[in-house]
Order: sequence, then C-alpha cells, then structure tokens
Amino acid sequence: MPVENIVSIRQLTKLYRQGEIDVTALNGISLDIPRGEFLALMGPSGSGKSTLLHIIAGVDRPTEGECRVQGQDVAQLSESQLADWRNQNVGFVFQSFNLIPVLTAFENVELPLLLTRLNRRERRTQALTALDLVGLADRAHHTPRQLSGGQEQRVAIARALVTDPTLIVADEPTGNLDSNSAAEVLGILQALSRTAAKTVIMVTHDPKAAAFASRVIHLEKGELLPTEERRP
Amino acid sequence: MTIAGFIVKNALRNKRRALLCILSVAVSLFLLVSLLVALREITLPPEDVGAAARIIVRNKVSLASPLPARQRAVLERIPGVEAVTPFTFYGGKFRDEDFPKFAQFAVDPKEFMRIVVEAKMQVDQLDAFLKDQRACIVGKITADKYGLKIGDRLNFIGTLWPCDLELKMVGTYQGTIDDRNLFFNHKYFDEAMGNLGQVGTWWVKARSIDDMPDVLDRINRAFANTSAEVRAETERAFQMSMVSMWGNIKILVRSICSVVVFTLLLVSASTMSMAIRERFRELAVLKAIGFQRREIFGFILAESFGLAAVGALLGIGGAWAFFTHISISKLTDGIFVAFEVTPQIMGVAGTVAAALGIVSALAPAIAMARMSVVDGLKTLD
Ligand SMILES: Nc1ncnc2c1ncn2[C@@H]1O[C@H](COP(=O)(O)OP(=O)(O)OP(=O)(O)O)[C@@H](O)[C@H]1O
Ligand SMILES: [Mg+2]
Repeated sequence: MPVENIVSIRQLTKLYRQGEIDVTALNGISLDIPRGEFLALMGPSGSGKSTLLHIIAGVDRPTEGECRVQGQDVAQLSESQLADWRNQNVGFVFQSFNLIPVLTAFENVELPLLLTRLNRRERRTQALTALDLVGLADRAHHTPRQLSGGQEQRVAIARALVTDPTLIVADEPTGNLDSNSAAEVLGILQALSRTAAKTVIMVTHDPKAAAFASRVIHLEKGELLPTEERRP
Repeated sequence: MTIAGFIVKNALRNKRRALLCILSVAVSLFLLVSLLVALREITLPPEDVGAAARIIVRNKVSLASPLPARQRAVLERIPGVEAVTPFTFYGGKFRDEDFPKFAQFAVDPKEFMRIVVEAKMQVDQLDAFLKDQRACIVGKITADKYGLKIGDRLNFIGTLWPCDLELKMVGTYQGTIDDRNLFFNHKYFDEAMGNLGQVGTWWVKARSIDDMPDVLDRINRAFANTSAEVRAETERAFQMSMVSMWGNIKILVRSICSVVVFTLLLVSASTMSMAIRERFRELAVLKAIGFQRREIFGFILAESFGLAAVGALLGIGGAWAFFTHISISKLTDGIFVAFEVTPQIMGVAGTVAAALGIVSALAPAIAMARMSVVDGLKTLD
C-alpha cells in the first residue's frame, strides 16, 4: 500500500520584497510528508523554517509553486475559507505558548471548538479529553499564570489537537522550556504521531528535540539540504 | 464558555483600566446629561398649569415702556377676559444686596389670586395680603433662602423705578412654576411713585384656553391707534422672548457639550487602541485557530461597545436618579426650579455613548482585521 502523503510541496518559492531587493526566504522547495510522520525542520536562523511552516499551515501564501495538504491547494482558498480550513485541519503550537491569559486551561482548549457545531456538552467532553491526553485534566481550571511553562505548552498542545486536525505545526515548541518539560512536550508530540497518526511538523534548533522526530530535514538559505535522517 | 463570555472576560482583563474607562464614560455622560437638561430648561421653561390661559399685555414700543392705568377698564370689558391685574416688575435690591436677586412684582392682590390659581396660600395670610396695602407675599423658595418670617419688614431700593419700598411680609405661597417671586400691592407702588397712573404690563386671564387666539386679537385691536398701543402674547410666548436673552449661554453650553463628547472620544479611543495593541499577538493566535476577520472585528467592537454601554448606564441612570431625587432649586440656589431628565435627553446621551463605543473601536478593529497572522505572531508581548 503506497504511503498517503498529507503534505505535498512542489517547487515552492517565497520572496519578500524589501525596498529594492528581493529576499528569497524559500527557493524551489519540494517535499512530501506522509501521514503520521513526525518531521523536524532544522537549519540556521533565517533559513526559512518558519516561512515554510507558515505556508503549510495556511497562514502565509507562497510566491510560486504549490503546497497541497490532503490534496487541497492551500493557496487557492480565500482568506475566509482558509480560516475555516485551519480550524478543521491544523493545530498550532508556538514557542511562547500563546495561551489567552484571561481564560482557564479548559477554556483555552475549548476555544477552537467555539467555531464548530458542537454543543456545550460535546465541547466540554472533547476539551477535557484533550487535556487528559496531555496529562493536565486536574489543571483544567487553572489560568495560564498558575501553570508552569511546560504545563502551559501542554495546554497549548491540547488546544492544537482538540479539533482532531490532521496536521500539527509547532515552531520551536521547546524553545522556552527546560529540558525536563521539553522532553515531556516532545514525548506527547511523538505519541500523537505514533498512536494517533497525526502528522507533526516541528521547527527546532535543538538536535535533542529533533531526536524525537521520525525524520529530520535541514534548510539552508531557503533550500533543502540533501542530508536527511530517518528513524524507525 | 460562550463567545459572549469570552468577550466579557476580555473586556475585564485589566480590571483597573476597564473601571477607569467605565467611570470616565459615566462621569462624562452624567455631565452631558446635566448640560443637556440645563440647556433644555433655559430654552424651554416647563409648562405651567395656569400659564396656558394667561396673557401678558405690554407696550408695543418696548417692554420698558409703561402702559396707562386707564387701559384696565377697557381690558376688563373685552369678551373672553376673566381677570386683569396690573403686573409691574419692580426690580429692587433687597436690603444690602448689590443687585436684585429675585423678582418683585406689583399686582392687584385680589385679581392676582384669580389669575395665578395654582398659588397655594393659607387663608389668613391671603386675607392679610388683601387688606394691608403694604403687605407682600414671598415665594417659598426665596422665603426659605433668606429665612424670612411673617411680619418681617423687607426694604428694597429701586433700580428701575425711582422709589424705594418698605414691605411687610404677610405670607408665603407655593405651587407655582417659579416659587421665587415676591408680589405686593400695586396701590402701594402707585403711591410710592406719586400716582403717575402707570403700570409695567397687564396680566390677563382668558376664560378658556380655546378663546386665547381671539382674546389676544381683541386686546391688540382694542388699543390700536391709541397713544399706547399694546402687544398681547401668551405668557408662554412672553417667557420665550425673555429666554432668548439666554442665547449666548446656549452657545456656551452647546460648545461645552461638544468638548465633553470630543474629550471622551479621545479618552476612550486611546484606551481601546491600547487595550487592543497589547493583544495583537493573542488576536493573531485567534486568527490562526480559525476565527474570521469579521469575528475578531466583532469581538473588539462588542468589547468597546459593552464598556461604553455600562458607563452610559451608570452615567445616564445616575443623572436620572440624582436629578429626580434631589431638590435642584436648593442645589442651584434657585437658579433652576425644575430639572427634568427627559427620555429624549437620555436617548441623545445613549446615542452618544453607542457612537462612542463604536467609533473608538473602529481604528484598532480595522488594524487588527487587516493584520496577517504571521505579522501578528511576530509582535512582541
Ligand atoms: N515579513 C518579512 N519581510 C521581509 N523578509 C522576511 C519577512 N519574514 C521573513 N523574512 C526573511 O525570510 C527569511 C526566512 O525567515 P524565517 O522567519 O522563515 O527564518 P527562520 O528559519 O524561521 O529563522 P529563525 O530560526 O531565526 O526563526 C529571513 O531571511 C527573513 O529575514
Ligand atoms: Mg523561525
């Protein structure tokens, strides 16, 4: 049985116009990411990692080339369709957690569900399940301020997976964490790819973090390096 | 959690700022309502129960020109006229005051009581007023203000007329639209002036309100082509013409109103844009999660509108409660007798608040709706 590619990128280019000069953030990238893969994206600062992640996640648009996610050419969607598409297909995890400080952990996780047709009870069940998955069911009613950084990031992961998206994107999710919390977070992401067949794309600078991934690719100056590490 | 709950939590995230914002809206709207009511009161004296059937007859040349006393007999014979009294504004300085602070009118006491039917007096005091030529009655507001008692001698120095008066207070009245005036016997005024046979104006009561137009017309015609032609107008119209002297104050009050609204707009607009600016990142995250531009726009608008609405409720409701329960004449030392917060004024203030809530959120809401997720995420906390 052929592997199903969740993400399929062809000749992707992203230019930023800065005054007179064009900055090439991505230069003709082609890449396939199969379902259930935990992909680590590495590379020096300014190599285009975040840019690539943003295009895949549908918050930025390519200048040229194609990025298909589950067969859908993301660039073809309107702004409003993209918002719906992201809600249904993508979960975001950020370096600085980005939880809403006035909401409890539970409410933060429930937030994406407000955009769905689920009723209050269904939302509640689903949000608690997600919190349970990251081991924080007992912290449901704590606000972000009452949580440690590692716990905050786990809540953020719960928020990312509560809508059951195919794709989870994480831009340096362990960048602000100590090694223990980082290991916990990475363990969860790894488990999601292995047991729930989520496709996880993670940008990281840290080789120890990348070691959790099933594949590591390197970007440099907007191009993919041929070096590629795979793990079973 | 619901969307509404989310908006409320956002609005209250910085409790002190929300409170200050609400308070500044409340205080400004309280002030605005007060100014609007004051404006209304000075431009539109409230309807007076007896006034509708009352007529002021004055010299056609000017208010300052007196009328001959002999006109009275003619007036009394005009069909539709029920009662006539001379009505002369004396305008004297009370005791050692440096300018007249309340009005004194010379009238015929008997006719006066038939014309100002709403004035309530004790019978014995009324008797004394009718009997004693030097008697005067004082409106309750003024009597209270000066602590005047029955039997007090009240000395006045003429400012318009070359005569000084010493009046004896025999009673107080209340129940009229303006319980501040003093009334005394015209005969005493005539005597003090040396019986010139002059009156300031005539105060006439028509038999019925329906008769008013005809009676006015008849009075005007009765003295046409005489040496003292008159202008008869309803008491209400007469008051309005007095009020037009307030013109400059109207402009002043109007400009203060605009300044209040404008300042409030600046304050709330800067509060809102601060509140949103520090949340750019969060709002970008909401967008990434799948919230639409219009939803984000709506959140911001609802938050701003909500704060303005609460402030408006406090300010407008507070003004209503305050002015309904206090005695405005005491508070303003008799400058205002009535101070009614009308539904219309509350409506105007409410509209100002609503517009304020929307306008002050517009700029940040548009900026936020336009911002891309990527740019929003890059802003620092
Ligand atoms: N809005 C922009 N305008 C102009 N240039 C941009 C913009 N965003 C990114 N770039 C440029 O594109 C290139 C790639 O940026 P990107 O943020 O993807 O790098 P990165 O690999 O994520 O770096 P880091 O590890 O530091 O986060 C950089 O050279 C950057 O300067
Ligand atoms: Mg980056």
